[in-house]
Amino acid sequence: MRPVYASIRQLSEAMISGEVSPVELTETFIARLREYGPRLNAVVTVTEKRALREARKAQQEIKEGRHRGPLHGVPYGGKDLLATRGIPASWGAAPLKDQVFKYDATAIRKLKRAGAVLCAKLAMIELAGGMGYRQPNASFTGPCATPWSLGHWSGGSSSGSGAAVAAGLVPFAIGSETWGSILSPANNCGVSGLRPTYGRVSRHGAMALSWTLDKLGPLCLMADDCGLVLEAMAGYDPRDMTTDRKPYRYEQVEGEFKLGVPRDALEETQEPVARSFKESLRVLEKFVVVEKVDFPEFPYEAVTRTILNAEAASAFDEFTEKGLARSLTAPEDHYGPYARTVVLAKDYLKALRLRERMARIAEDVMGGYDAIVAPSRRAVASPIDQEFRKVAPGTAKDIMGAVGNGAGLPAVSVPNGFSDEGLPTGIQFMGRAYDENRVLSVAVEYQRRTDWHRRHPPAFEA
Amino acid sequence: MPQCNVYTMDSKRIEAEALFKLVEQLYGGRLSEAELEEVRKGVERIVETSMELRGVELGNWDEPFSVFTPYRRRRI
Repeated sequence: MRPVYASIRQLSEAMISGEVSPVELTETFIARLREYGPRLNAVVTVTEKRALREARKAQQEIKEGRHRGPLHGVPYGGKDLLATRGIPASWGAAPLKDQVFKYDATAIRKLKRAGAVLCAKLAMIELAGGMGYRQPNASFTGPCATPWSLGHWSGGSSSGSGAAVAAGLVPFAIGSETWGSILSPANNCGVSGLRPTYGRVSRHGAMALSWTLDKLGPLCLMADDCGLVLEAMAGYDPRDMTTDRKPYRYEQVEGEFKLGVPRDALEETQEPVARSFKESLRVLEKFVVVEKVDFPEFPYEAVTRTILNAEAASAFDEFTEKGLARSLTAPEDHYGPYARTVVLAKDYLKALRLRERMARIAEDVMGGYDAIVAPSRRAVASPIDQEFRKVAPGTAKDIMGAVGNGAGLPAVSVPNGFSDEGLPTGIQFMGRAYDENRVLSVAVEYQRRTDWHRRHPPAFEA
Repeated sequence: MPQCNVYTMDSKRIEAEALFKLVEQLYGGRLSEAELEEVRKGVERIVETSMELRGVELGNWDEPFSVFTPYRRRRI
């Protein structure tokens, strides 16, 4: 079998049958991380010693018939905001590049328990974009490229997580999203990315940008892999009191699906994005009912933006007060944290009060549907040396992002086409709280009927 | 119940200017003129965003969407 670009289920079966061993797999992916990682600026640290230790253990256990599940022996990479015992966790920021924790983040611990093999810490936008970056060169590891075009951006802030999966450097990766940081790299790199419901995955040991908005989730080659990884990562954690006590099991949901499409879903979208989306709707309409929906007037973006601004100002208060922003890579991040230090307490609390209303509106709009479907992003990847808002200007609101993150709703982004210059486009399915299985089921069925997720950047094909 | 205050361009400007002055007093020494100008624009955006929130009326009983749980090391 060819392990590069194989699904998690294929890798698992190959390891059980003895066709390939966890150590061989790990060596294969470590070699690719070392060879291709620097071309993309996707990798911070290759964790070879730990990976080989975990792989040997997995090999022994599988040989003895003690199989832990589909991730057993499968290599992966983690966004560099996750604490990993004895291995630097830079948070993408030059002044913190030697930061080392003495423990593993809960998500890493849970993946270890599932037998997954940590092979790399992956590049990210400094402080997960919390300083207000405007262009891709906002990480001490340099701007991360999409494997589809080294002249274009991978998306962020989980930049390396998207790029490494798309380039076949790891079978899956962990990213995080506060507002767009999983869906953006999934879109730009042409991979599948799942933003779970808030509280589904413990945030313990992950850098905090905004305590009530941060979510950890997988980036994978396909939606089915996302479900398998989520099951391993999810669950109650006494170290994160916002985690859900109900265990999560990944399973396909049967039945007829009904999707809602926001009436303004294509507002200010680039032509290839609109073209791919319309084609996707034609595919979807063969197995789901699709109806137009409207989100009523409400300051969705203002609510989520105010929460993010206020919580980030507090989360990075010490960092800001020490003047460390001056040492960050992006020039705009040198002054980015100062404006939001004056968000008034009453406005933050008003945003938290309005959040409940926003969540109820979302529930009303989404109540009759299995998912709301829209383009993952309005634009394809922007040139790596340009401000992304200058490349794709517009005034259209990101209601899906504001509601999805503000109300803590799950969404999966999967690839759905390419621009004429070969840059991927994506489609997102956003569900009601705790409906990961529903949105994944729609995405899995969509991927059964399309082959966008089976296309890989030629420069990185094994 | 009286209507929410209607914020005028003038009140936005006054608030943004006052808040910017505070940032300038606290952090101005660290920032160049050009950077301070960007901070000013950032403060104006924050005030603009806050005005959007303040435009929505809420009842006294509408609580923040966050749950505080009193803490004890061990439940009795």
